[in-house]
Amino acid sequence: MLPFRSLPLVASVALLAFPTAALAIDYPPAGNPGKGGTKVRAGKAKTLTVCKQRKCRYRSIGAAVRKARGGDTIKVRNGTYKEGVNITGSRYDGLKLVGNTGKPRKVVLQGKGLKGAKAQNGVLINNADGVTVKGFYARKYKANGFFVVNAVGYTLTKLVAGHTGVYGIYAFNSKGGTMSRSEAFENNDAGFYIGQTPRQTKPKRSIVSKVKSHTNVLGFSGTNMRYVTIKDSDFYNNGSGIVPNALDSEKFPPPDRNVISGNRIFWNNFNYYAGAPFTIPASGPAGLAGYPIGVGVLLFGSQNTVVEKNRIFGNWLAGFGAIQQIQLALEKDPKLQEASVLRGNTVRNNDFGLGGGDLNGRDMFYDGSGTGNCFAGNTVRSPNVPADNSTFAPCPGPAANTPNSDAQKEGLSWVVGVNKSDPSTFEKFWIKHPHSVQKGIKPLERFTR
Amino acid sequence: MDRRGFFGVGGAAVLLCTIDGKQVAVRTADDVEKVDAAMASLRRPRSAARKQTQRDPLDSASFPSPEPQPGGQKREYWIAARPVKWNVAPNGGDQWMGKPAPRPSRFTAFVYQRCSAGFAEPIGPPKMPGPTLRAEVGDTIVVNFRNMGTGRFAQPITVHPHGVRYTPDYDGAYLGDFTRVGGFVEPGEEFTYVWEAVPESVGVWPYHDHGPNHTLNTFRGLFGTVIVKPKGAPIPDVERVLYLHSFSPQVTGIPRLLHCVNGRTYAGNTPTIRAKVGQSVELHVIGGDSNFHTFHIHGHRWQDSGGANVDNPSVGPNETITAAFREDNPGRWLYHCHVFTHQDAGMAGWYLVDP
Repeated sequence: MLPFRSLPLVASVALLAFPTAALAIDYPPAGNPGKGGTKVRAGKAKTLTVCKQRKCRYRSIGAAVRKARGGDTIKVRNGTYKEGVNITGSRYDGLKLVGNTGKPRKVVLQGKGLKGAKAQNGVLINNADGVTVKGFYARKYKANGFFVVNAVGYTLTKLVAGHTGVYGIYAFNSKGGTMSRSEAFENNDAGFYIGQTPRQTKPKRSIVSKVKSHTNVLGFSGTNMRYVTIKDSDFYNNGSGIVPNALDSEKFPPPDRNVISGNRIFWNNFNYYAGAPFTIPASGPAGLAGYPIGVGVLLFGSQNTVVEKNRIFGNWLAGFGAIQQIQLALEKDPKLQEASVLRGNTVRNNDFGLGGGDLNGRDMFYDGSGTGNCFAGNTVRSPNVPADNSTFAPCPGPAANTPNSDAQKEGLSWVVGVNKSDPSTFEKFWIKHPHSVQKGIKPLERFTR
Repeated sequence: MDRRGFFGVGGAAVLLCTIDGKQVAVRTADDVEKVDAAMASLRRPRSAARKQTQRDPLDSASFPSPEPQPGGQKREYWIAARPVKWNVAPNGGDQWMGKPAPRPSRFTAFVYQRCSAGFAEPIGPPKMPGPTLRAEVGDTIVVNFRNMGTGRFAQPITVHPHGVRYTPDYDGAYLGDFTRVGGFVEPGEEFTYVWEAVPESVGVWPYHDHGPNHTLNTFRGLFGTVIVKPKGAPIPDVERVLYLHSFSPQVTGIPRLLHCVNGRTYAGNTPTIRAKVGQSVELHVIGGDSNFHTFHIHGHRWQDSGGANVDNPSVGPNETITAAFREDNPGRWLYHCHVFTHQDAGMAGWYLVDP
């Protein structure tokens, strides 16, 4: 399906900045995760203990990792560890790296002052299946706090990731993992990110649950993300909340068969251009001009995705948005054109505006493109775009949705003409309302120390 | 051994499973453990199409996924299979005889559980039978299935339906080297089955595991129901599914056979059905084990599919009969299997009719 080529704004579309793929900072090449299957090591698993005192055999996590094999457990005592932990290869299948699960901030992985590969990631898991990492706080790494690539069945839980150069907690080209009970903040791209999920006939689903993501450019990014359920989590005070997106810069577009359920998605109005606790990078969503700020959930090209039972409030631009991936629609490759289409998405039983106590600028935006997209049972309290609700087809979705060029023009107007050197341009389409009180959290629009 | 215990043990059957191509008698819980271990290490079958000696064009043929007919719709379900702690007598007593139900009554079962989209959360408590899948003629039933088997239940399983139409990929049956994609879903994996409700699908049907260990796993609780109605057909005022089945000592580790209705045993634990005079009632009864049963409701009679008046029709393994009638007789009534050894060992329940 082609986009609305007749729109005068289409020429500007290619300049739009939407989430970019993982930045190439010493990243290992993408392989075929799980190709050989998890190997079960013969013999008894060991426990290796790491601490900063002499009583421990290992003073660095890396030293313990070098001695460990799959199935072993590495216990890390409280302290600050200035290193980048590298867990690469199938010999580490089933390894457990355990810090302080009750107080993850007591076991700090510190990237500041490191150089070279060690400075990239707090923990890198590459080509090792079934690895568990829990109970750590990674901060100030040049790339990511915790990064899994080419793996099957990772478990990342009770982690904190802050002040990284790209993503807080990140899984790429991997199948079936868990991110849970973790927090990511002040990352200059996304707090959490699952991307480039290989297509699978019998998929292993990834579950993201009970996480907090705040004060990031994006709360959650999902370029070409598949089979992921994001549930029971809080995404607040980010530039935008949750953004599954289709891009040709990574393999396997589009995002497909994802579920966003039971989350609180609120106050995502962090205008980082007006001041941020991190450096605005040259690339990524913040590095390119034109990325919208103030959206709760944005489907930028998605298929067979369910957004349900979320509480979405206090997002000044829109609570929910869905728009065709217009850049891919302009490609010549029919597969990329297909990947641009919003197809078979369901938005149901979401509560917008917190009972009227914390309204979104607009509740739902949908350009009406694509097929089989439907809306049911949502409680809306602010105007939608389009205001006549003509694009919000009931479920089950129709064979072809009804495009609305006025809605698309309005949506494009939010991202065309903004200028990152003038932060106020990102706020000119906001519709602001009084916020509710959320225990322990203050709304963030412009960062000040 | 009391009377009930005698009847219970007396009805236990030897299960047969196949390990490494050999048929093995499963007489004890230890035998079950060995079978589970063998199934957990079973390798995913290679495609039969790759084997020169067994090649048949059928085995490499591809089939399109069905779409709903015009006017039909896609009925989507998310179903996870997972182990649960199960109590066959959660309310404790046998209300019919006014006695405590025999103990122990708990074991680990394996059930299909309905979930919200993306398996974000279970919908309601785990039940036997598993979720009832409903459709009308012209619809497709889409089952997003996830194997959440852990521990000794970490083994390949499937969902195999009766009654609906499906292509070989959606058969949900393990066929050794001829296994198609949906016939071997390993722990942690998902598979999406798509089945068609064709005109001949009208009726009530079981679905169950048909993976390599399907006999044991079906007897552990991996079964459910498909109900297909004609387009626009009315839903009865009272409609219930009753599985008549048993848990053998090998499966439960409890030294007696547990005769159940929907995973519970003895009136007060088994489903209590309630209706009012004047309501339309349909009770769908399915045989859920290797025994033949009968279904009797005190004070009631109805017509079978041949038009004969009945009050105690028989029902065989994975067969369905429906007792459909307009309620006209208020009071407290028993329903039960009229195989005496079954009814006395707990295959009975209450049917309450308000005036």
